[in-house]
Amino acid sequence: MTQMTAKRYVDIYEAYDRFYEGERVREDQWDYSIVPTNAALMKEKYDISFGPDIIPTDEDLCERLFLAGVDMLLTTGFYNTDLGRVLHITEEELFEGLKMAPKKLSLGSGKDRVKCKARRGNARRKPVIQGGPTGAPVSEDIFVPMIKSYAQEPVVDTIVSGVLNTVNNHPATTNTPWEIRATMAEIRYVREACLMSQRPGMCI
Amino acid sequence: MDMTGLNMLAGWTTVGDTIMIEQMPILGGYTGGVEETAICDVATTLGSFACFSGNFHLDGPIHIRWGTTMARGTLQVAAHAAAAIDANTDLLLANQYYPIAGPCTEMCLLETAAQAITDTASGRELLSGSAAAKGVVQDKTTGMEARIMGNAALATCGMKISDVNDVLNKLIPMYEAHYTDAPAGKTFQECYDVKTVKPTQEYLEVYDKAVATLRDIGLDIKH
Repeated sequence: MTQMTAKRYVDIYEAYDRFYEGERVREDQWDYSIVPTNAALMKEKYDISFGPDIIPTDEDLCERLFLAGVDMLLTTGFYNTDLGRVLHITEEELFEGLKMAPKKLSLGSGKDRVKCKARRGNARRKPVIQGGPTGAPVSEDIFVPMIKSYAQEPVVDTIVSGVLNTVNNHPATTNTPWEIRATMAEIRYVREACLMSQRPGMCI
Repeated sequence: MDMTGLNMLAGWTTVGDTIMIEQMPILGGYTGGVEETAICDVATTLGSFACFSGNFHLDGPIHIRWGTTMARGTLQVAAHAAAAIDANTDLLLANQYYPIAGPCTEMCLLETAAQAITDTASGRELLSGSAAAKGVVQDKTTGMEARIMGNAALATCGMKISDVNDVLNKLIPMYEAHYTDAPAGKTFQECYDVKTVKPTQEYLEVYDKAVATLRDIGLDIKH
């Protein structure tokens, strides 16, 4: 008899073990063959074809696309570029893992706290608006006012940071202590910008 | 995924942090066309929750040639993937914003509005942006782009999907013909008084023009 019940969801430690023991695959095989081949197979198997609409209006197409995505994940797995190995999970583990995901989150604190709660379709309830440079490079001397320009917008609920080009005029080079220093400075500056906008509890 | 990502997740999940997992599928890359890219987008989104303990997922389908998330195809990928997952789960879905044009241009605001309309109508829970000028030019982002993102989302909530598609079918052609000559826009220092953090009169007028354009094509957007 096929086992239908998952032992439990896959956590980070289990994910690492499965990568470690997984099938060895070259990165070029993964990129050029496995992913494109499986994606094309799923497109054909589930008859996925988009019409002209940007937002889909065909409920059956959405259902088939979801099933194709599930099948793609279970068939293909995930690739670890450092280990050169592939992780696989079962369908039961997939849905057990999805049950662990929160249906709502509380973001921020005090009067600036907002709820991020599952919407259904184009619900009347607005999505959370997260404003910020979204990883774009920002000069050190204008970092605080730039973030303040987002935090002071009433429609903005939470902040996403930019990237400091320099810290103490020193380049914030990746994989060096300066990168850590710049990251810590970004957090301080974002907090300061929220405080200056009288929204100290905004989620960042 | 790599070992740095796994190790960071091990630390964050152990202390109970809220985990956002980001992934930007490339339309026109290894996954090919819109349908294949959307299939991979659904798969990796589900995997971010089921394999890596994500609490919400930050998407960002991006065009391999234009480097934007607001191209017709990338909007279609994002909308279809979100709608498919939204119809079958209560997962928390977000999307991020990379217009081609720079700040203080109507094109940048219209691009941003197009994605906000798309993300809202397809059931996403969080909109994260906006990195104008493709997010690669120093100091070319400002709060005014987030203002249009939020207000366009508010105006879209509750609209009929057929009406939303009508708006998008009028809006996207307004900017997609200008990818090769997109306006570079201005820096934050040129768009705001840096000391008072107030936008310039010029940018307010550009914003008003973008709002008027959106109203003309059927979006009941407020200032």
